[in-house]
Amino acid sequence: MAAPMELTCWGGDWGLPSLHPESLIVMAYAKFSGAPLTVNTIKNSWRAPKGDLPVLVSEDVAISQPAKILNFLRKQKYNADYDLSAKQGADTLAYIALLEEKLLPALLHTFWIEAENYCSVTKPWFASKIAFPLSLYVPGKMSREALNRILLTKGGPPLYSLTEVEAQIYRDAKECLNLLSKRLGTSQFFFGDTPTTLDAFVFGFLAPIYKVCFPRVQLQEHLKQLPNLCRFCDDILTCYFRLTVSGHSPAGQDTADANLQKLTQLVNKESNLIEKMDDNLRKSPQHPPRKLTTLKLAAGGEESSPMSRLSP
Amino acid sequence: SSLSTAAEPWPENAALYQQLKEEQILLSDNASSLAVQAFLQMCNLPIRVICRANAEYMSPSGKVPFIHVGNQVVSELGPIVQFVKAKGHSLSDGLDEVQKAEMKAYMELVNNMLLTAELYLQWCDDVTVEEITHPRYGSPYPWPLNRILSYQKQWEVRRKMKAIGWAGKTLEQVLEDVDQCCHALSQRLGTQPYFFNKQPTELDALVFGHLFTILTTQLITDELSEKVKNYSNLTAFCRRIEQQYFEGHEKDSSTIARSSKRSLLR
Repeated sequence: MAAPMELTCWGGDWGLPSLHPESLIVMAYAKFSGAPLTVNTIKNSWRAPKGDLPVLVSEDVAISQPAKILNFLRKQKYNADYDLSAKQGADTLAYIALLEEKLLPALLHTFWIEAENYCSVTKPWFASKIAFPLSLYVPGKMSREALNRILLTKGGPPLYSLTEVEAQIYRDAKECLNLLSKRLGTSQFFFGDTPTTLDAFVFGFLAPIYKVCFPRVQLQEHLKQLPNLCRFCDDILTCYFRLTVSGHSPAGQDTADANLQKLTQLVNKESNLIEKMDDNLRKSPQHPPRKLTTLKLAAGGEESSPMSRLSP
Repeated sequence: SSLSTAAEPWPENAALYQQLKEEQILLSDNASSLAVQAFLQMCNLPIRVICRANAEYMSPSGKVPFIHVGNQVVSELGPIVQFVKAKGHSLSDGLDEVQKAEMKAYMELVNNMLLTAELYLQWCDDVTVEEITHPRYGSPYPWPLNRILSYQKQWEVRRKMKAIGWAGKTLEQVLEDVDQCCHALSQRLGTQPYFFNKQPTELDALVFGHLFTILTTQLITDELSEKVKNYSNLTAFCRRIEQQYFEGHEKDSSTIARSSKRSLLR
């Protein structure tokens, strides 16, 4: 029996389990490989996100980058790449490199550097998840790190101004999206019918672009012109994260269970009231009070889906 | 002006500039230069290699190598491939869309892992920095300029490593990454002569540039070249390209046999 594993990461909104690409990659991989992770999203607490998120903690070992976390999960026998051939494994590495070099800079730019996006969406959202006064400092730090990374890797001559760098990285990102779309074609996942590490990485990078509502959305608009990539993201969200396309945000498994619990409590209360009324009416011992069985909580899994359709 | 570029044929006096071969050039720059040379050989475009101490500063992007063709100056493999394509020469026209996507992905893999590992080794590994990099990098210049330029470059590279998360890696982890990359390349190559079977593409040129340089450059230890030697199809690949595109050019300065400390053929 594997030791319990806990993942600390940024939470989600707009129908996503997480807004943060690296966190999303790990969550997706865990779903694909069936790894039992308890996910703790950063809420408004004093426990500050130390170092880089996401962090996986298992038996006092803390592992921090997505590639390392995935390696660890594979060693624990949660391997989503089990059926891949060696060449497909090689392709996975190559495409991940493509994503990091060509798509990530534009993703970082859209979230952290584009002024309108950063001030109206990113900063308030991240600041709302951490306690004051860290909320004043951490978003700014993440933004500076993003800018630093982009300038150091992409910003050399002959690109001399930030606008030229921006133009170049968006060109690269759009080309990368086109390449991914061509590679995906009409299949459901990148290597056939079961999702693998590459699908986790692509989903982690694409879903935030696809779903988050920014004022400046050139990358999202380009992505929406590639219907197979949009379908890819939606499929993973509905199949593995139990979210509807319209975005029961953030209707995760937990909220569905919470709603179910509330409903059950209400029904039980009602039935208790009816019982009392019954007793009062009869006021006689020859009718033993009928024992109404209280509704049991559905044990997660399949039963929650039909139930969640009931919730508004 | 791009129309006029396309119209002019490839001139006889096209030149490729890099740093001084014997004393100055470093592993990563040598690999990049060799990749471009291999690419141009594969396209059958003649090029002379000219070594200048200040090649890095002459380059429009600050990176070597760069080529001087007609009155155009283009640096780095990516832009050079585009430039050559505009002149009507291309190695990847026969590939379909999915193959082109794969080719670009593998080229990014080489840049992301192999090139970064080379940079790490020569600028972030203290022993290599002291014994090889610092003496070589500033060698054409008098003291104290040689030290200043060297430290400046080191600071720049270390900043970049920190931004992409490589600063925290140990040498073992970097060598692990090189191994992973070589494993992927070896798997992809399989038993084919080139990555896309019969014809070489820019990916073959890039992989050749890096692997051949790693195999033939003497560093403090042999750990890096051992990682590549573990994969026999990769060494065979390098030998094949060396034989096909670089033998018989012994006379002119575009020979690569001398820049490497020893040739692969024994």
